[in-house]
Amino acid sequence: MTGLLPEGANLRFEGLDQPLQILRALGGGTQGQVYAVDCGGEQLALKWYLPACLARDPQLPRRLRQSIALGAPNGDFLWPLALLEPTAASRPLIRHPKAGFGYLMALRPAGFVGAHQHAGGQLEISLQNVLRACFHLADGFHHLHLKGLCYKDISLGNLFLEPSSGRVLICDNDNVDIDGQGGGSVLGTPGFMAPEVLLKQAKPGASSDLFSLAVLIFRLITRHDPFRGQRELAIRCLDEPARRRLYGEEALFIFDPNDPGNRPHPEEHAAAVVTWPIYPRPLQQLFEQCFGPGLRHPDQRPLTGQWTQQLSRCLDQRQLCPHCGQETFPAPAAPGACWQCGTPLPPPLQLQLAHGRVTAAAGNELHRHHAEPWAPITLDQPLARLVSHPEDPQLLGLQNLSGETWQGELIHGQTIDLAPGKTCNLAALQQLRSDAGPITVLRP
Amino acid sequence: MPFPNVRLSNRPLHFIYLCDCSGSMAAQGKMQALNQAIRQSLPGMAEVARENPEARVLVRALRFADRAEWHLEQPTPVDHLQWRDLEAGGITAMGEALERLAGVLQSPPMEERALPPVLVLISDGQPTDDFETGLATLMRQPWAQKAVRLAIALGHDADLEVLQQFIGPEPPGGGRSPRRPLQASNATSLAQYIQWASTAVVGAASMPASQVQGATSGGNIPLPDLPPTVLDPTDDVGPLVW
Repeated sequence: MTGLLPEGANLRFEGLDQPLQILRALGGGTQGQVYAVDCGGEQLALKWYLPACLARDPQLPRRLRQSIALGAPNGDFLWPLALLEPTAASRPLIRHPKAGFGYLMALRPAGFVGAHQHAGGQLEISLQNVLRACFHLADGFHHLHLKGLCYKDISLGNLFLEPSSGRVLICDNDNVDIDGQGGGSVLGTPGFMAPEVLLKQAKPGASSDLFSLAVLIFRLITRHDPFRGQRELAIRCLDEPARRRLYGEEALFIFDPNDPGNRPHPEEHAAAVVTWPIYPRPLQQLFEQCFGPGLRHPDQRPLTGQWTQQLSRCLDQRQLCPHCGQETFPAPAAPGACWQCGTPLPPPLQLQLAHGRVTAAAGNELHRHHAEPWAPITLDQPLARLVSHPEDPQLLGLQNLSGETWQGELIHGQTIDLAPGKTCNLAALQQLRSDAGPITVLRP
Repeated sequence: MPFPNVRLSNRPLHFIYLCDCSGSMAAQGKMQALNQAIRQSLPGMAEVARENPEARVLVRALRFADRAEWHLEQPTPVDHLQWRDLEAGGITAMGEALERLAGVLQSPPMEERALPPVLVLISDGQPTDDFETGLATLMRQPWAQKAVRLAIALGHDADLEVLQQFIGPEPPGGGRSPRRPLQASNATSLAQYIQWASTAVVGAASMPASQVQGATSGGNIPLPDLPPTVLDPTDDVGPLVW
């Protein structure tokens, strides 16, 4: 890559007390280039725009200033921290006749990989962490929309995820604007754009974000595309006009409950056929709503809060197949059979809290929103986690992740203390009295 | 348990170089510069291929001098590609090259379903055979019509008119455009254009990129911006290689 900024040099910017040392180029795209920089001992990322970008999108600096002033919606965004314009002395060091401008943001931590790697099947990740990533994505958009902002261009290309935890980072926040302010120039990415934006009938905004969000969640949980079924097979050359038909003019959800005209092909679209049955009906119904009535009626698209609610419920009913060990997400009242091996799933042990119920499976977590009616749904600070005994994986226990000691009542009437960090065997447990209220073991 | 071992089905994306290997390419290191530019572009191209789950990028190369022949005949996944040097010598059978190209763009051997092929014609001179007939044969193939056709003019003797015919109708207005021949006057700009074609254009043809209003339109694939003309400290001393 031919760099716009000289690596190794110290550049000064207006309004910044100390110079930034350009450490190395991290990547480049059609918009500009990203560099690792040192800012007084702290390593940050600097995105530098190609001057053509500003010519095409004159509102860009205004949007960036606005976002910087408003602050990040939550920690899941690599949000702009400062807008940078070079000082007169530094301008000649920039390898372009028009020096341009850029912004500072945090560096993407190691361990986060591009979501396209998951879509391409190159990533080892559990179903639980894929669902967590979808939750964090929907939750990030929830906070963004609550601030009155919209993102406009979410796709696989600007999402990063950490396979070991399901944490996400939403990047490229430079199109973010106050919803309804039609000043920007971005339209979105074909395949993710809402039909009304793709067909140039509307500008992107919060309601088109809801469509793109649903596409992205679908692509993450199925590794397939919601509109690629039989109709894709009829397309020989998949180019722009073909995409406009597939995702706009003639869009039909592959699992549309009323119109089977675009069902996935069992071999060509195996990913959709294998993965769709994994997920519970209420989650499937959100996609049916968004890609059915919501396709042409933006006001009928599920909201971010509905996604976080159904994704967290899906995580709550995660159950491991006793035969093959695979993760399944059945309704506890009627677990059915394992989607992978077909073994009938037993009715699960569950933990009942005041406002929620969680299936007892190693890795599942109890949260404050299970105990308190007004607690926001979050996965960030679990109260307790279900864990297997390190020597005997058959033994399932509940680990106290709070800072308080809990009291346990066993089935024979004994009581125990469960100090922070300690785990009690569920086989003997009747009820725990936690600082968030009672946790009762429900046996099938 | 890991996520099930499934993925979005992908389509082949055929990327074909058509390289002028006439005698004039031997002058001033042009042939070596082209070999270097292609070789240097491969890691970036492989990275784009990896990042595009929807595409299977397959590379071929056709050389033309006295005759047109395949230099790399087997469609080769880019991460398996070892570039063998092209050698210069002979005249410029560009028309024959387009006929040979037409042969592989008919179905079969073309797959029934694919992404738009990317065809890159690189030349430093004028065709010495029947270019018009070759182009007509090529353009009768639906896959050639759907293809992203790019041309790079090496040095100042390239026939820009012929290259424009290969690309298609000239876009209105002036200035640099991916739908005009890209004029590489030195090794640095040649390398930049080869890199742009093998990364940004491959990306655009395989997985649609973020779109903005008023971007380069026309054709069935919106083409990415050309690489910026970066101020190179060596620019002041004139062409390095020819």
